[in-house]
Amino acid sequence: MKNLSYLFFMLIFLSACEKKNDDLVNPMVEQDFPQILLLSDEGDGELEDEDKFSFKITLADRVDPSGKELGGKIIPLEKDVTVNFEVSSFKGFATLSSYLMDAKAFYEIDDCTTSEDKGIDLKLVFDKTTGKGSVTFPKGVEEIEIEFETNDKLFDDKVFNASSRKLEIKLTSVSPNGEYVVVNNTNKFEYEVLDDEGIYGEYELDMSNQQQFDNYIKLFGLVNDKVKGLKINDVEEIKIEFQYGELKAIVVLKQTQNVAECGKVKVENVEIEIEGDLEELDDDKLSGDVEIVGGIEQANGSEKEFVYKGSFKLVNGNLELKLKGEYDDHKIAETILAVHK
Amino acid sequence: MKLKMLFIWIPLLLAATVANAQRGIIKGRITDQRNKEPLTGATVVVTGTNNAASTNLNGEYQFYVNAGKINLTVRYLGYNDTTFTLTVDKNKLEVLNIAMYARPQTLKNVIVSGYTQGQAKALNQQKNADNIKNIIAADQIGRFPDPNAAEALQRVPGINIERDQGEGRYVSIRGLAPQFTNTSVNGEQIPSPEADVRFVALDAIPSDQLASIEVSKALTPDMDGDAIGGSINLITRIAQSSIAAISGSLGSGYNNLVGKTNLQGQLQYGQRFGKNEKLGILLNGNYYHNDLGSDNFERNVDDNELELRDYSLTRTRLGLSSSIDYKFNNHHEIYFKGLYTRFTDREQRRRYVFKPGDDEIEKLMKDRFESQSVISLNTGAKHTFKNFFLDYEAQYSYGEQNTPYDNESSFVAGMPSLLNFNDGNYPRFDAVGYTDNSAYEFDEIGFGKTKAKDKNLTAKFNVGLPYKIGSNDGLIKFGAKVRSKNKSYTIQQNTFENLGGVPNLNQFEGVSPKSEFLKGRYDLGTPMGINKLITYFNNNPSQFELQVEDKAIDQALEAFTANEDVVAGYVMGRQQLKKLMILGGVRYERTKVSYNSNDVVIDENGDLAAIVPVSGSSSYDFVLPQLHFKYEITPLSNLRAALTWSYARPNFSEIIPSQEINREDGVASVGNPALQPVSAINYDLMYEHYFGSVGIVSAGLFHKQLDDFIYRRILFNANYPLTGTATATGIDITQAQNGNKASITGIELALQRRLNFIPLLKDFSVYLNYTYTNSKAKIQSRAAAANNANVTEEIRLPGQSESVGNASLAYEGKRFSLRGSLNFNGSFLSEVGGTKEADVFVKSRMQFDASGSVNITNRIRLFAELLNLTNQPLEVYQGNKSQTIQREFYSFWSRFGIKFNL
Repeated sequence: MKNLSYLFFMLIFLSACEKKNDDLVNPMVEQDFPQILLLSDEGDGELEDEDKFSFKITLADRVDPSGKELGGKIIPLEKDVTVNFEVSSFKGFATLSSYLMDAKAFYEIDDCTTSEDKGIDLKLVFDKTTGKGSVTFPKGVEEIEIEFETNDKLFDDKVFNASSRKLEIKLTSVSPNGEYVVVNNTNKFEYEVLDDEGIYGEYELDMSNQQQFDNYIKLFGLVNDKVKGLKINDVEEIKIEFQYGELKAIVVLKQTQNVAECGKVKVENVEIEIEGDLEELDDDKLSGDVEIVGGIEQANGSEKEFVYKGSFKLVNGNLELKLKGEYDDHKIAETILAVHK
Repeated sequence: MKLKMLFIWIPLLLAATVANAQRGIIKGRITDQRNKEPLTGATVVVTGTNNAASTNLNGEYQFYVNAGKINLTVRYLGYNDTTFTLTVDKNKLEVLNIAMYARPQTLKNVIVSGYTQGQAKALNQQKNADNIKNIIAADQIGRFPDPNAAEALQRVPGINIERDQGEGRYVSIRGLAPQFTNTSVNGEQIPSPEADVRFVALDAIPSDQLASIEVSKALTPDMDGDAIGGSINLITRIAQSSIAAISGSLGSGYNNLVGKTNLQGQLQYGQRFGKNEKLGILLNGNYYHNDLGSDNFERNVDDNELELRDYSLTRTRLGLSSSIDYKFNNHHEIYFKGLYTRFTDREQRRRYVFKPGDDEIEKLMKDRFESQSVISLNTGAKHTFKNFFLDYEAQYSYGEQNTPYDNESSFVAGMPSLLNFNDGNYPRFDAVGYTDNSAYEFDEIGFGKTKAKDKNLTAKFNVGLPYKIGSNDGLIKFGAKVRSKNKSYTIQQNTFENLGGVPNLNQFEGVSPKSEFLKGRYDLGTPMGINKLITYFNNNPSQFELQVEDKAIDQALEAFTANEDVVAGYVMGRQQLKKLMILGGVRYERTKVSYNSNDVVIDENGDLAAIVPVSGSSSYDFVLPQLHFKYEITPLSNLRAALTWSYARPNFSEIIPSQEINREDGVASVGNPALQPVSAINYDLMYEHYFGSVGIVSAGLFHKQLDDFIYRRILFNANYPLTGTATATGIDITQAQNGNKASITGIELALQRRLNFIPLLKDFSVYLNYTYTNSKAKIQSRAAAANNANVTEEIRLPGQSESVGNASLAYEGKRFSLRGSLNFNGSFLSEVGGTKEADVFVKSRMQFDASGSVNITNRIRLFAELLNLTNQPLEVYQGNKSQTIQREFYSFWSRFGIKFNL
């Protein structure tokens, strides 16, 4: 027995020589890796007369224990936690309280119901003076939204503002309440007030102008076969919207359809929407460069990229776009599109 | 058919039994008179007849003789022939233990000790073996500076080794890749600790644990048939005498590249106990700790990339073995043999990757620990009955490769670089500011963890029936074996990217383990301190994003479980016809295999679409006839010929039915559970002459015709999956398939002898061997396309070196010995590329080692070993020899210490 213990100790001694654990730090992985609360988006922007904006707090994806969601999914918390956040780095205005009027927090229960509808209080506390706030991230929930009521008069002027008006929101900490959860406090949500005297906003195409209609069909028919086949008589209106980070080209058809939404059936015009990210936009000028990049899903499920690239010029609400298009080895030569607000 | 066989064999067995009824048994042990060491491979012959036996590893012999008064002659290279007279009664067993004297006339002033004694043991066994084999005895291993079994084997004719970080790891026999070699411990296959292969990394087995190594190049029916290249049997030690034998060694050394010392030690105790030394116990333990490293650059020709790799490693080898045997009487004995080996490897690798095409430079660091453990437990019995002998054995063996952590992180700098490969020896590059760590942004960190397990349960028996026809002795032997194998591989992989906030590399700097890299040619700057990064990761997990989809793919793709059941049986006869020995027989092996793995489907956008469990199974049968001839031209010369059939099972990585489809790129790889083993017909011819002064000159010729050779075939525009309902069409599927033929032909030349015929050089000996091989294999042409998919082309067999050899000159005086050893491996095809220009070859390599020892007393010896004195690198080229894609340098390392034998 004594010999066996000698042997045992000798093996332990020799194991130490393996340097298995020398200068080794074991990482926290699998179940040791905590839940992470983070901002859902990097930023957003609304026109200067908008009276609210919101940001979302979500949980990072984790491995689906059932193995069904291979790309992972959000595993909700098992206990309520309190998330602290801070609004800071504001530009274009003197005090937060002059722009942020009020705040509320809620989460979606389904497409038609929010926690607010059900009277669920997320105990949002927000100090307009310091910009500091806290909110409950409840158990069983994937994402919550904090909506600020803003002063819609503060920036609503009639001049083009080249300087930025914005603020940043960061998560600062979490009170875990026994949950193994941390917050990402380095990422930020940047909210920007978009100037409607600049390129941002909604534009309409003059439907009485056959040439402009043909130009629109030529440009956006490149990526959408339905658009390609349209006649002017099929179309009610055509809109182009420059939003925060993206462009939407919307064709509203005369054709209508019944749409069921939250238990109600409405008759709506059929719309064809083409969306692209604004990879480049000189939004601090009234003329400049623009590049729009998007993806079109193919029949086999894959996605192909399209690019529109060119310039814009805005005069008194009239926007002239000169764009070249490229998609799936097809190219459209520079085409001028004139739209107005 | 089976009934017919019974009609043939039963009368033969009965006849043999009747013939044996008039006979007796002689049994005994032959030792050296001076040091009581067993004399292995000695020939014991009934004078004037061809009735003979040879001693086993313990010096023991046993054979059936005609009853009456007989003269028995014992022959052993380097010793005087000795004749004894004794009377053997019918059906009785006589024990005759003999102590032999070294030959004074031939070996004047030469003591048969140390290396010569080891060589004598090996050559005596080789000379008396029924088949073509090479044997290395422990004493012989100890005289070369070879710490593990792979490096010990590199001294054998026809063997070349694949090295890892300068140390021998895998063994190839006669130009065939390691998967064509069967590795056994004490006669039974051991499992491979590695996940995807069957062959064993022999650097995991310390040479100090071994009594001898046998390399059989032509199989007999009582051996496993899955060994086309050859069969390696590692034999552990056993207690020899009632006098306690305690031996060991203690040493240290120095690695010049890393500037660190190493440590080694071994202790062995063996003794027989009780009346008539019935109980024998042997315990052996050894430990080797080695710090080593390498400086390496690698080039990616296709992507125009350059890597600088700086390795530092700590490796340990622990070996524990024991044997317990109990001899009830001269007829019956039981034994237990256990071997445990543990090889550990802590590797830290620092890397730069220059990517001019992407205007990027990557800086990486890896920290990985891996252990390979093998346990082999054999228990069995040997019985000698009046008319037959019987032995049986059960074995449990388990191999495991455990990687508890494999951490690697990369940082990327958006930085241009310019590469220049005009100098074939060392590349040049321009990359301003590449050592500035503040320019490197965090890319990712991966934490891997894997475990591969392989378990064998085996049971077997052998029955031998000696018989006599006229004056000629013979033996009929038959036996059977069952083996159940369970193999599995599990993977845990967690890779994290930046979720936001991870600082640049200058915040995670470590310490460089070396003052210079590749003799100062390149500046590696300050390396990453990966543990600083992991500490940061643990403190700031919110800044890291788990790549969940990658995790699912990594963990599913290579993971598998497999079961393999083998049933085998054989019958063979050995007949001595005067000077001619004929051994013939047939072996039957049936293998049933089943596997479980995963089908990983990547969709058109490159995203993971599904992971579907899949399974497969197959079975195959082999009937393997074996025929051997040995003609004793003189008592010291043999001419041998063999015609044998053998096969090699596919690697697990090729047969597990895992599938991966990348619909984005339109390619897939699919396992092939229906893959058949490679079969071979082997032709061997060998002449060997032994020198009475202990030595050999031999020349051999061999040819192997391989069928169902496995190659990777591309099925163009195929439906995926290959069976069942197609879920995708127009996919190029790569799959290992059978079908093509290959052949390998070679000659082996060997010369070992003491130069005692030259008075001035009487204390010198030479050890020379050279093997030339030529191989051809047909594969699907790399130029094949959908419209000509069946076009073939001819290549060399991967792993086959045209020339392999050893040259060693040794001085062995009474107290002092010195040896210089050269080992040469010719260039070989390492990877078959997508085109001929993409084929990857390992360049030829010649390593020079030196060793020496001084006997302080008869029992204590000082030794010193110097390895890789000429700093031979591993060099790899692609397409043509001038296009070097890798050079890895290790510098030299040494060992020195004391060996004792109390």
